[in-house]
Amino acid sequence: MKEKRLKAPGFTVVLINLASGLVLSILVSVTFGNADISIKNVYQVIICQISGRQWFTEFSSGAVHDVVWLIRLPRVLMAAAVGMGLSVCGCVMQAVVKNPLADPYVLGVSSGAYLGASAAVILGLGAVLGSNSMGIMAFAGAILASFAVMAISGIGGFQSAARLVLSGMAISTICSAFANFLIYIANDRDAITQISYWSMGSLAPSDWDNMPVTLIIMILGTAIFWTQYRNLDLMLLGDETAVTLGTDLRRSRIAYMLLTAFMVGFAVCCAGMIGFVGLIIPHAMRMVFGTGHKHLIPLCALTGGIFLIWADVACRIILDYAELPIGILISLIGAPCFIYLMIRSAFGGGRK
Amino acid sequence: MNITAQNIRRSFGAHEILKGVDISSRPGEFVGLIGPNGSGKSTLLKCIYRILKPDAGQIFLDQCDLSRLTVRESARKMGVVAQHNQYNFDFTVKDIVLMGRAPHKKPLDRDNAADYAIVRKSLEKTGMSAFADRSFSTLSGGEQQRVILARALAQQTPCLILDEPTNHLDITHQIQLMKIVKELKLSVIAAIHDLNIAAMFCDRIYGIKGGKIVGEGTPENLLTPEFIREVYGVETEIVHDRHGQMHILFTGL
Repeated sequence: MKEKRLKAPGFTVVLINLASGLVLSILVSVTFGNADISIKNVYQVIICQISGRQWFTEFSSGAVHDVVWLIRLPRVLMAAAVGMGLSVCGCVMQAVVKNPLADPYVLGVSSGAYLGASAAVILGLGAVLGSNSMGIMAFAGAILASFAVMAISGIGGFQSAARLVLSGMAISTICSAFANFLIYIANDRDAITQISYWSMGSLAPSDWDNMPVTLIIMILGTAIFWTQYRNLDLMLLGDETAVTLGTDLRRSRIAYMLLTAFMVGFAVCCAGMIGFVGLIIPHAMRMVFGTGHKHLIPLCALTGGIFLIWADVACRIILDYAELPIGILISLIGAPCFIYLMIRSAFGGGRK
Repeated sequence: MNITAQNIRRSFGAHEILKGVDISSRPGEFVGLIGPNGSGKSTLLKCIYRILKPDAGQIFLDQCDLSRLTVRESARKMGVVAQHNQYNFDFTVKDIVLMGRAPHKKPLDRDNAADYAIVRKSLEKTGMSAFADRSFSTLSGGEQQRVILARALAQQTPCLILDEPTNHLDITHQIQLMKIVKELKLSVIAAIHDLNIAAMFCDRIYGIKGGKIVGEGTPENLLTPEFIREVYGVETEIVHDRHGQMHILFTGL
């Protein structure tokens, strides 16, 4: 671990830089895509939409308008929201379970959401739960999975890294087995395609219906966790030490798990399975800026957003003829990083 | 601050660890708790600093019943230095000490200049100022314990609980840590393994064996060869050095 850490004023500067980096990323990334649209036209469409005036009347409707305003912009904002949510949730999860190798995916929460969403598609729950049935079911699955993992690993009592990883794996396996069972029994090609496409992760389905809700939830969730920085720090010291420092964390732990499951549920529903973001970003931030959550939460949120925006851009332009699912790209980068972290922690990596 | 524990009982399963223990401390007094492994001294302290709930009995901080206080309120009255502090995540020394301010903070309060001043002062008192920006995991065991002590000091409590804080420390760091604590003139209750260390620093000592208090008094009065034989089952000789400080020599089983 680095000995040198940024001081408080340095942190503000970094934060401002990252925030402008995020805005810049959003503005630049809308100009990338398969459709050949000039940069000027892109901004004319956006300005035209936001101002509500008809300065460039040719862009207030039509193909160019649709591509930029209805496809690209919601997608880029969705990438920012999901990236932000997943990395903040990863950071919080690591504190909640006191394990540096935790992320929402490792603890089986995403798999729970996946099972929920599959059930919604295949069992046709849309008729019962309305148009957002996948979201509702993904959310329910995420919460159930996270509580199953908490129960199995023994919250409050004996809780070791091995138990958590194992119970997360077990829940993941059970959830994917059930999901596969449903898919197999249903034998419905459309549903299978929908689920397998969804499970590889993609931001393509983003639109103005689901994006604003997700963005608001992620920003609110991040804000809430930011206010909880002191408790998150205390969680890393352990429940006993926390009690001697005047905080009983049992209730907050459950609340954080709930909120995390809520955020991850939405992320999974809107963008499918995108693993490892919640692992890499918090660790990268810790290595540079230290462990304190007062700094870590906003840094994770901004960096996660920027990271996913550019990962999505890469997915859009890396193949000439098609789009690469973002889950595949991130796993290809993420898995080696995960291995690196594991090896590093076996060597000590600043810990004893 | 007066700490009074009355008739504390605590079992783990069928095994009764504490069989009705009474202890008390007066303001500014350094009280030691000695006894063999498994005698219940750590369990008793854990009941006092609220990691464990006693099955029966009451604990008072001055006149307040501990079980009626929130953990936040009790953390403003007593700081704790326990024996084992190892973290999976790497904090700087300053971050760790700053967490001692947590009991004084409401959820949305920010850390202000006064908090940082208290952190600086706590680090000074424990001689750790030069380490403020170091990462905790790179420190030696003795340095880590002094950081944890600084964190307890940052809580600004009138009383301090030490739960075998000098385990795994070499003699230099044991004496150093105890000396720092002694000079703070706080009310202290400390579980201590090493009888000579206990004799050097305690104003009064409780001997505990099999979950019961078996003796109480000043080191000179309590730590006699007969008493030590009864509690620990070892033979000893008591000598005094040229400063008049008593020492316990172990002569056999």
